[in-house]
Amino acid sequence: MNRLPIGIYIPGDTFIHRLDSRIKLLGLFITTAAILLVNSILGYSIMFAFILGIILLSGISMKTALNAINKLLLFFVIVLLMNTFFYSPEKPWFSFWIFTPSTLGLLYGIEIVLRLFLVLIASNILTSTTTPMETTHALESLISPFRYLGLPTGQIAMILSIAIQFIPTLSEETDAIRKTQMARGARFDSKKISEKAAAVLPMVVPIFLSAFKRADDLSVAMEARGYRGAKGRTQKKGTPLQRQDLGALGVIFFICLLQIVLRFSNLTHPWRSRF
Amino acid sequence: MQEMSVVKKSIITAVCLALCVVLPIAFHAVPNAGSIYLPMHIPVLLCGLICGWQFGLLCGLAGPALSTLFTGMPPAAILPIMMIELAVYGLVSGLMMKLIRSKSTYVDLYISLIIAMLSGRIVAGLARALIFARGNTTIATWTTSYFVTSLPGIIIQLVLIPTIVFALMQAKLIPMRYPQKRA
Repeated sequence: MNRLPIGIYIPGDTFIHRLDSRIKLLGLFITTAAILLVNSILGYSIMFAFILGIILLSGISMKTALNAINKLLLFFVIVLLMNTFFYSPEKPWFSFWIFTPSTLGLLYGIEIVLRLFLVLIASNILTSTTTPMETTHALESLISPFRYLGLPTGQIAMILSIAIQFIPTLSEETDAIRKTQMARGARFDSKKISEKAAAVLPMVVPIFLSAFKRADDLSVAMEARGYRGAKGRTQKKGTPLQRQDLGALGVIFFICLLQIVLRFSNLTHPWRSRF
Repeated sequence: MQEMSVVKKSIITAVCLALCVVLPIAFHAVPNAGSIYLPMHIPVLLCGLICGWQFGLLCGLAGPALSTLFTGMPPAAILPIMMIELAVYGLVSGLMMKLIRSKSTYVDLYISLIIAMLSGRIVAGLARALIFARGNTTIATWTTSYFVTSLPGIIIQLVLIPTIVFALMQAKLIPMRYPQKRA
């Protein structure tokens, strides 16, 4: 538990770090939409160049940016193989039992892997350059228009920020329970999966009891101090968007628009062909 | 049953959200624990059962997102499908607990749990088949990934969740569902 990877966030003072968290979160959504729209070599080249540009601007090393990918290499290989062998029975290289490997399947697999690759790097850049608390505030701000539909956005934001503050506390608590179990003979370091599972499972009920005890204490304290909900809560100061934030949003919108044009235009060009 | 205040339900939801991040890390000692033991499902189902469908829905939607934000797991590519699945768990478990009143807490819990677990898996399978992996999802792959691989997780949920609810009731951390008969 000491290896809790809180703080995927990497402190820095780069252009991307300084951008407003609302713009970064909105930018991730728009970039993901743009990635899903891509269906040509030119489109992928633009997205790769764009993501590379953001990595350079964020000051994150390429190794860190690709960190999320390393953990999923096996997953990518499986996706690629599954698509190659099962996607299409048309024009297969050969046919054996249920396997029909084809060029179409291979291309479709490559397309899925490329999209996942780009989305993963984009979200990795967001988490590396934005603190979880900033992301929560950004989320609160982005969902705030839904309050007109009756959604309690203030309450949701309160729940999220309390949840974030509870993570380190509960993680320490879990660590303490784990050590207690080890003292009683639980074998977390066993090489046998069944023994490891048998060690982990008895931890669950005490973790929940301890967490709910903390929740009870906090709710009693909040109610005793007159807290009756987040409705009408105000912020000490607003954070207006800067010129650089609007500029960044403009660039992201332009990239998305470019992908829409590339996808739906009837122009024929070798670069626009799908592989 | 004495109703919990909105503040208490909110804090319990926050704690369940935090457990969506912490519990999978605790299970991390076991290889492939995420897909076999489904640790993130437990707080979401509990949140729905204890706090109601609105809070369960929020926990199901935000739990995986928060975990991705803090630990990078589940990966962003799997996140949407997992958010849908867990949101249905939270929503349906809360709705069922509201609708079913058999005068036995165990019966209410088990019926709600089983319906929620089935609904979540069906909706996730449909979402996969119609949106996220169109053309690549078959009944066989759905059954394997949602029932066979995760069978230990399903058994653990069915055993642990009612136990946890009763332990919380006994500890007076949540109100009893039905008033106890006095001897």
